[in-house]
Amino acid sequence: MGEQPSSADTPLWEVVELDQFHTPEQTQASQWRRSLRSASKWLVGKSAAEQQVKEESELRALPEVRLAHLVPPIDWSFAAKALAQQLESCEAPVIFFITPPHSGHTSVVRQWAEEHHVACLPPPTLNELAKGGTEWVERCINQQKWAVPALERHFLRHTQGIQGIREFLERALSGRLGQGVIGCDSWAYAYLQQVIGIDGAPVFTLQSMEGEQLSRYFAAMATHEGQPPGVYSTRTGKQVLSDSASKQNGKAPNKELQRLAAHCRGHIGLAWHYWRERLREPKAEDEEALWLVDALAEAELSADTGDIATLVLHALLLHGGLDDHALGDVLPFSHHEALNARLALQRKGIILSCEGRWQITPLSYASVRQLLASRNYLVDPL
Amino acid sequence: MEEQQKYARLFNDIDSQTLITLGVVLLATIVLIIVSQRGLNWIGNRMHGQVRFRIFALVPMTRLLILMTALAIIVPTIIEPSLRNMVTVMGALGLAIGFAMKDYVSSLIAGVVSAVELPYRPGDWVQIEDTYGEVKHVGLRTVDIQTPDDDLVYVPHLKLWDHAVYNANNGGTSLQCVASFYLHPEHEAGWVRKALRDVALTSAYLKFDKPIIVVAEEKPWGTHYRIRAYPVDPRQQFLFITDLTLRGKKVLSAAGVQSAMLPPDAALDTRNAVGSASSRGND
Repeated sequence: MGEQPSSADTPLWEVVELDQFHTPEQTQASQWRRSLRSASKWLVGKSAAEQQVKEESELRALPEVRLAHLVPPIDWSFAAKALAQQLESCEAPVIFFITPPHSGHTSVVRQWAEEHHVACLPPPTLNELAKGGTEWVERCINQQKWAVPALERHFLRHTQGIQGIREFLERALSGRLGQGVIGCDSWAYAYLQQVIGIDGAPVFTLQSMEGEQLSRYFAAMATHEGQPPGVYSTRTGKQVLSDSASKQNGKAPNKELQRLAAHCRGHIGLAWHYWRERLREPKAEDEEALWLVDALAEAELSADTGDIATLVLHALLLHGGLDDHALGDVLPFSHHEALNARLALQRKGIILSCEGRWQITPLSYASVRQLLASRNYLVDPL
Repeated sequence: MEEQQKYARLFNDIDSQTLITLGVVLLATIVLIIVSQRGLNWIGNRMHGQVRFRIFALVPMTRLLILMTALAIIVPTIIEPSLRNMVTVMGALGLAIGFAMKDYVSSLIAGVVSAVELPYRPGDWVQIEDTYGEVKHVGLRTVDIQTPDDDLVYVPHLKLWDHAVYNANNGGTSLQCVASFYLHPEHEAGWVRKALRDVALTSAYLKFDKPIIVVAEEKPWGTHYRIRAYPVDPRQQFLFITDLTLRGKKVLSAAGVQSAMLPPDAALDTRNAVGSASSRGND
């Protein structure tokens, strides 16, 4: 899973086996840059502002309507088709499809299941998980073909909470449940691999995107007729999106998006959030160009983040998000302490609530992952 | 008269310029040692993982290098560096050390050895005789160990010569923890072993790239189980053991597994054995 050079001919949506996944060019450099920025913030007190061609004060956020027009939600159907192609030649009883948080494994597996008329198995309730019962596994036995869009909803990290999923995966991997496709968060997959041992089952993921592919994707997303809108970097003043002319001339894509690709480890779901959050328009009415403000200035964790906060973040990632009650159940301290730590992280903008579950925000994910890796916590393979 | 001249030649002429040079070298040595020690400790304390231990390992080595450089400047400034002079000075020093400062100098020499052999470095969890704790500072004469009760114990380096040093993590981040469970002999051993392994696997502190081992040992009063596993950070060892113990007890208790109870006569025997051992210690 090392870095490999990009190619302009590479398809945007490519589903590959896990061991063929590679991070984009400059991923290591991006991590060093983030460490350096964190160190300078720690020493100086705040990060030194980079010189900007266009001042952020001259710009304003885009109205929601225009933003929805320029950056519509990701259409995961292309990824679902790519997954279907891979599955055609696969005979294993269980196939895993994993992606990091905010990167679409649930949507992809759900769309694949809808297109192929395969039933999605409902997750157990929190109460069932807390009791350690396996009744929900019994409900899965009458299917020949099935799909689980989000396996991270099927366990909790305590002695009772892993009994059901152990039973389920033992039956599924032995073929007793028929054939299934399991969508799983990459962090939950890493944890279950250690706890239950799911080696041997084929694992697929979305191949990372390089800057050139991001440029093509964002341009296509924003283009409704003719040329894509002009988007310029406030850092360099250069155009960010590649148009058809520059593609024909073989002109190198702007480095800004390669930087973004490296920062997001090539995951389109995360890059999409950055793109959406960082697009600006000029305050002056006579200008039409759009600007991309410093794409990587996200909510960052300080290097001296305490153990409790670190454990909360790790628990949230392993479970693909948790509500307050479940969070207290999987942490080795009181519900009150867990709640305090969660509130502090929420105030800093590191986590947010999504459908009642606390999750790491897409713009904080890169720094949280780096922090956990630097402290020897179990991290995902992507 | 001739004898006086001989001794006069042992030392160089100490004029005001030499005194100023010596003062500057001494001052610079002290400042450099303080800055390097505090600076490296400050940085190390803000780091995590292997980097933390690498920075801490530099602390005694840096001080040793600074001291050796200072000595290399000071000694030739005071003494004419001939073989005869050096033998004379060493002889005099050896006599003084042999009579008055044997242990002190022995600790200093052991301090140099500890900086080279690294039996302990800041951040390590060590046991020397009855003292267990985290090495906070490796000084010239002593190693400062902070115990879990927050006492700072200054152990002279000379213990290196004749006492074993138990280093639990040896400059790394892996430190094995042991949580013990004492169970009644009547229980399903296979189930207990699996349940205790699950307790470790679901701990938030667990380091996954190290093995988890559940050891069972039969005793006259029941079965002694130990979970051997590693926390993510050595500083989490007591929290980790507490987490394993509490959750282990909860799981075993929910399954109706009883704790071992010593029969009254065995308890009395044990108390007597402890009493006689402590009285022997007092003798």
